[in-house]
Amino acid sequence: MTESAYPTSSHDYADDAEELARVEEAMSGGPRGAIMVSGIAVGLLLLCWLFIYFFIFLPRGTVG
Amino acid sequence: MAINEQAILKSELRWAWVVAGIVAVILGAILFAALSMHINPPSNREFADPKTLHLSAEFTESNLGTRVDGEGRIVARLIATQFEFVPSCIVLPADSDVTLRFASPDVIHGILVTGTNVNTMIVPGYVAQVHTRFTKTGDLLMPCHEYCGLGHSQMLATVKVIPRDQFRPDARGRAACGDGR
Repeated sequence: MTESAYPTSSHDYADDAEELARVEEAMSGGPRGAIMVSGIAVGLLLLCWLFIYFFIFLPRGTVG
Repeated sequence: MAINEQAILKSELRWAWVVAGIVAVILGAILFAALSMHINPPSNREFADPKTLHLSAEFTESNLGTRVDGEGRIVARLIATQFEFVPSCIVLPADSDVTLRFASPDVIHGILVTGTNVNTMIVPGYVAQVHTRFTKTGDLLMPCHEYCGLGHSQMLATVKVIPRDQFRPDARGRAACGDGR
C-alpha cells in the first residue's frame, strides 16, 4: 500500500492539536465537499425527473 | 482558529435555496401540465352499489362498451371483475375527447392503458372515471394493474384506437370492436 499524503486516522497525527488544526483547516471554507457530492447527486436526480417529464410523461397526453 | 460556523451556516442556507428552487421547478412543471395540458390525477366521487351493479341503469350488460350520447360525448363503460374486463375490447376514436367509466362488483382492480397517462384504481362501490384523448391509433393493451387474485395476470383488455373518420357508431350510438368481443 502506498503512503497517503493525508493522515487517515487519528493515530496518524503527531498530537491532538495537529488533528484539530487539520479539521479546522478543512472546515474553514464550509462543507464544500458535501455540497459538491450532494449537488451532483441531486442534479442527476433532477435531470432524470425532467427527462421523464418532458420525454415520457407529457407526450403521453391529457388525462383527468 | 475556530471552525467557521458562519461559513457552514451560509452554505446550508445556500443549499436550502437550491432545494427550494428545485421544488419550485417541479411544482411549476406539475402546474403547467395541469393547467395548460389538462394532465391531472383522475378524481371522481360517484357511488355504485356493487351488489346491484348488473341491475343498475348504467352498468347493465347491454349498456357496456363504447357509446356516443345525444350530445356527442363518447363514453366507454366497462366492468372489471375477477378475472376479466367486460367487454374485453373497446373501440375509441383518436383525437377526440373520450371518457372511460369503470365499476367493479367484487374486489379492487386497477387499469392502465399502455403508452398513455390513463391510469386509475377501480374500487367496488365507486365509479372510476378518466377523461382522455388518444393521439395515436392502434391496439393498446389495458391490463389490470392491481393484484386481484390468482387470475390477475390473465386479466386484460384492448383499447382499439381508430382514426376519427373511421369511427362510425350505429344508429343507437354504439360502437364495438369488429371481432364481436
